[in-house]
Amino acid sequence: MATSPIPDPPTAAPRRHVAARELWRGVHGRSAHLLAGLHQAWRRSLQLRVVTITLVASSLLVGGFAYLIADKITGILVENVETDVRVRLGSGADYAAKQFGLYNQPQETQLQETIEGTVNYLAGGDPQQTTGVIVALVADNHADAIQPRSSPAVNVRPLISPELRETVAGGKVASQIRTGRLGEERTKYLVYGSPVPTKFGQVELYYLVPLARQDATAADVRDTVAATGAALVLLLGLLAGLVTRLVVTPVRVAARTAQRLSAGLLDQRMVVNGEDDLALLAASFNQMATNLQRQILRLEEMSRLQRRFTSDVSHELRTPLTTVRMAADLIFAERDEFDPAVARSAELLQAELDRFEELLTDLLEISRFDAGFAMLDSEPTDLVPVVHRVADRLAGLAERVGVDIELDVPGTPVIAEVDPRRVERVLRNLVGNAVEHGEAKPVLITLAVDDTAVAITVRDHGVGLKPGEEKLVFNRFWRADPSRARQTGGTGLGLSISLEDARLHGGWLEAWGAPGQGAQFRLTLPSRAGDRLTTSPLRLVPADAALPFGGPRAGGLLAIGPGADGALAIGPGADGALAIGPGADGALAVGPGRPGNGGHAEVGS
Amino acid sequence: MRRRLIAGLLGGALLLGGAAGCGIPENTGVQVKGPGPAVEAGSTSGSRGEPPSRSASGTDAEQFVENFLSAAAGEPDRAYQRVRQFLAPSDRDRLQVKQGSEVTLAVVRLTEEPVIVYAPDRTEVTLKVQQVGQLRTDGTLAPPETSTTTYTFELRSQAGREGLTDGGLYVANPPTALLLSVEALETYYQSRTIYFWNNDRSRLVPDQRYLPLAVPDERRVSEVVKWLTAGPSAWLGTAVRRLPDGTRLINNATRTDGRWEVDLEMPEDKVRLEQLGTQLAWSLPDLDGPLDIKIRNQSQEFIPDLERRRLERPVHQLPESFQRFCVYEGAVHPLAYTGEPSGPVPVDAKANRNVVSAGLSRADNRILAALVVSDADRQWLSVGTGTDQVTTFTRSAKGYAAMSRPVWLRSTYRGQSAGLVVADGSLYRFDTQAQLTAVSLGVPGPVTAVAASLDGHRIAVIAGGTLYVAALSPDGAGGTPGPARRLHTRLTSLSAVDWYGENTLVLAGAVGRPAVYEVSVDGARESRLEDKIGARVTHLAAYPANAVGRLGAAMYEANGVAYRSGPFERIQPEQVQEVTPPSAGARAGNPTAPFFLY
Repeated sequence: MATSPIPDPPTAAPRRHVAARELWRGVHGRSAHLLAGLHQAWRRSLQLRVVTITLVASSLLVGGFAYLIADKITGILVENVETDVRVRLGSGADYAAKQFGLYNQPQETQLQETIEGTVNYLAGGDPQQTTGVIVALVADNHADAIQPRSSPAVNVRPLISPELRETVAGGKVASQIRTGRLGEERTKYLVYGSPVPTKFGQVELYYLVPLARQDATAADVRDTVAATGAALVLLLGLLAGLVTRLVVTPVRVAARTAQRLSAGLLDQRMVVNGEDDLALLAASFNQMATNLQRQILRLEEMSRLQRRFTSDVSHELRTPLTTVRMAADLIFAERDEFDPAVARSAELLQAELDRFEELLTDLLEISRFDAGFAMLDSEPTDLVPVVHRVADRLAGLAERVGVDIELDVPGTPVIAEVDPRRVERVLRNLVGNAVEHGEAKPVLITLAVDDTAVAITVRDHGVGLKPGEEKLVFNRFWRADPSRARQTGGTGLGLSISLEDARLHGGWLEAWGAPGQGAQFRLTLPSRAGDRLTTSPLRLVPADAALPFGGPRAGGLLAIGPGADGALAIGPGADGALAIGPGADGALAVGPGRPGNGGHAEVGS
Repeated sequence: MRRRLIAGLLGGALLLGGAAGCGIPENTGVQVKGPGPAVEAGSTSGSRGEPPSRSASGTDAEQFVENFLSAAAGEPDRAYQRVRQFLAPSDRDRLQVKQGSEVTLAVVRLTEEPVIVYAPDRTEVTLKVQQVGQLRTDGTLAPPETSTTTYTFELRSQAGREGLTDGGLYVANPPTALLLSVEALETYYQSRTIYFWNNDRSRLVPDQRYLPLAVPDERRVSEVVKWLTAGPSAWLGTAVRRLPDGTRLINNATRTDGRWEVDLEMPEDKVRLEQLGTQLAWSLPDLDGPLDIKIRNQSQEFIPDLERRRLERPVHQLPESFQRFCVYEGAVHPLAYTGEPSGPVPVDAKANRNVVSAGLSRADNRILAALVVSDADRQWLSVGTGTDQVTTFTRSAKGYAAMSRPVWLRSTYRGQSAGLVVADGSLYRFDTQAQLTAVSLGVPGPVTAVAASLDGHRIAVIAGGTLYVAALSPDGAGGTPGPARRLHTRLTSLSAVDWYGENTLVLAGAVGRPAVYEVSVDGARESRLEDKIGARVTHLAAYPANAVGRLGAAMYEANGVAYRSGPFERIQPEQVQEVTPPSAGARAGNPTAPFFLY
């Protein structure tokens, strides 16, 4: 990152440096991109994996075999030549030994002639030809008296290495492969040397056999084997690709069908071809789909019947209820004239009828949700007045139970595209619950907004929720304490309906609570209808809530030390503090010192 | 897809890389395959036959001169080197060195002791010589090129070391030729006979060669084969057949487990090869083991035993022994010696009259007879043939004043037997019908004597007091002899000659006084047989020593008295057989003109 100011005048080197770095970045970026792509392809395509593994494995195998075969054939070729040369060299050395055995001194003039004749004879005659075997005779021990000879007459010195000469001069038969240029082109030669004993010492006879033909044959073999191997590997790859495709394609079809099925297209089926395993898979899949479809349809039907039953019952109850209501209203209006005990009954009747009506209304509402008939009637709404209105409505009730309702709303309007009737119902429900469970402690309603969402929290400081109850509160007819009688007029459906309302908006309705710390409900709605929610402007867990495990509170000490049974204990020494230590039976216990406090956890072994 | 491509490439590269690694390597290390062949224990025939070196004679000038005349002996390619050792360093470049087959040694016979004149500063040596011939590299002794008779050179001590014994002498101002005395030729060379087939391949003709003793025994076979492939001596050229053109010895002949192998480059011909085998068997008389003749390393003619081959294919068709005859009282009579077979005269008594000299010969089962008879102061040649007894004789058409003893050629001319006779100074060939045909030798002077060799293809002639040899090829080219070769001998006043061996002549002449010498066919070697004769030898006949191993024998007549060899003694009349008792009072004559029948 060349963000530092470039010195003036700018030198070329840093520039080049920068350019190189840019290039490197480019290359690196591209290759990283490529690698990422490859990685993705590798993860996604079974076919690619199978084909690649097949190719690599078969390449290694075929390559190994090809190497072995080519190596073996080359070895046999060279060995044949060696055997042949060895025999020739042996008889040649014998012949030369006989020929030179007639001379007692290397200086004898006829010896040189004999050497030449012998070399020519052993080379097979024509000294002009340069393609065949070269026979050379060297006398390293008598270099001054005997000229080295070769037939055909070429300079074989470069081909006979000093090591070989030394070995052969030391009285050993030895061979070596050397490459050199004697004629037109560079040729490999098998140089085979043998000492020739004579009466005046030792001379050395060398056969230089060109390996051009063997080399060509070896190359041919190599090429053939390589071509065959490559073809084999490609064929294997192709085969693997085909076989995998044969398997993968139905699996893909099955996957697609399953996707469609899960998307609700219950009529999707796989095509069954033949009677093989894949056909069996397809048939089983289809059968499963059919069974599922049937089951789903049955359940749907049952659910529909149930909902309809609920709706019908609610409707059917309304008519007699209206009649009963009218009668009860009449009685209630005339209660002052009754004897006090009857008047009290009339009041009770009136109250229970109110609840009954409310219950029926809620039931109808929830059955509307269940039936999917609930329609959202969105419009841009300022939520501040809504909040105020709800607070005002419930002010009477609050006053009755001695709860203060506090509001924390922005001064400016908070506009959101919502259905105000439903939002108000939700708020009413939440605030009503808070007041009801507030235990005479204040209830705080907070409204906040950000770019995408609006959120309203309702905080009370009542008994709070036990762990796990945050979800249960939204269940229909759920009670925190079943033994407790329903004192306030709640129907047990309020939060369920509120949750459905929030969902209808595409929003969230969540609860938090801790025993002894009260509870907080948060409604988050998108500012524009149809938007997806990602965050909420307000926290679900209130700022004054205790940390999990209690946390190090102000004034609370973290105590590490022997616990009650002399075991190690870590935790806040006082109430609600964290304690880590062995439990009663010597096990390690991490947790608050005493059970029964809110927001606690216990880890034991 | 890209991944797959990469994987494919990777696999391919792996495959190719693996395959590329297994060709024939460019270079390898030295691989020892085992020990080399063991050294064969072989005899080393040391420096036998080498002439003495320069310093061997010390300051003895005479010995030094003798050594100098033998210095060139040995293998020809180093002759110059050996001679140069004798020369003063400053004079060494005056000797023009020749190479290869141009190296020739001038073989000389000292006619006098070397004249050594001692002087304070230098010693001068004068050699009086007779040029005998020149020894060529192929072992032949060719006629001399020069007629120089005197060589003069100086002897010098090493500079600054005059008078010291260890310094030795040097030759200064040397002769330009490489001199070799005949004594050195005899000492340092081995005379060998090789054989060539005559033109109709019916007979082997000997050819004499000299092999340096310095050549190891193992190489002698090679040398002989090389001589054979190189062809005969120049003077024999017309009479014998060379080996086929292009015949060449491949490297050296070698011996394996006692078997000799001769590898040749030559056309394959079974008959020729068989003949070559015989030729080789006779040319290598000292070998008796198996011989394998190969042509380009393919065994073509295997002779299991050379000795047996020689027995089966003798060079000469000779009877078991010879018979001696002489002319006694005008008739041919046998001579009887104990231990020698004797038989009746195979000449009809009617014809056996007035005989001056006679020549008898056996050819197959027939007797060939040629008589010189005197009649009316003329001499006539009477020729006849017969199986046991020759009865019919044909007399020559013409009489001559003098005729030599007729000799039969042991070869045939146009299928006919023929002989040679000298009449009135000319050489004539006669046939069985006594037809005389003059034979031109192309040599100056009147012909006085003629002799034919055992093989019938070589003749020796004395013409104008000089000895000649010539090859005769009666089976071709009109029967004229090849160019006559003059032989240089110590003898003068030559009077008679005959063949005394395959390559030797017996020659009658005079060395101061009359003497009979054995002379090699090239004139180099001479050995005295007899010099206590006291008179000129007029008649000489010999039975040649031959390859079968029989010794030669000679008889001569001098001053009307006949002698025989071994030991030389006079042939007494008592030895003459079938003699009718001499008429009373008549003095018994002497046997004359003795000759051999074989």
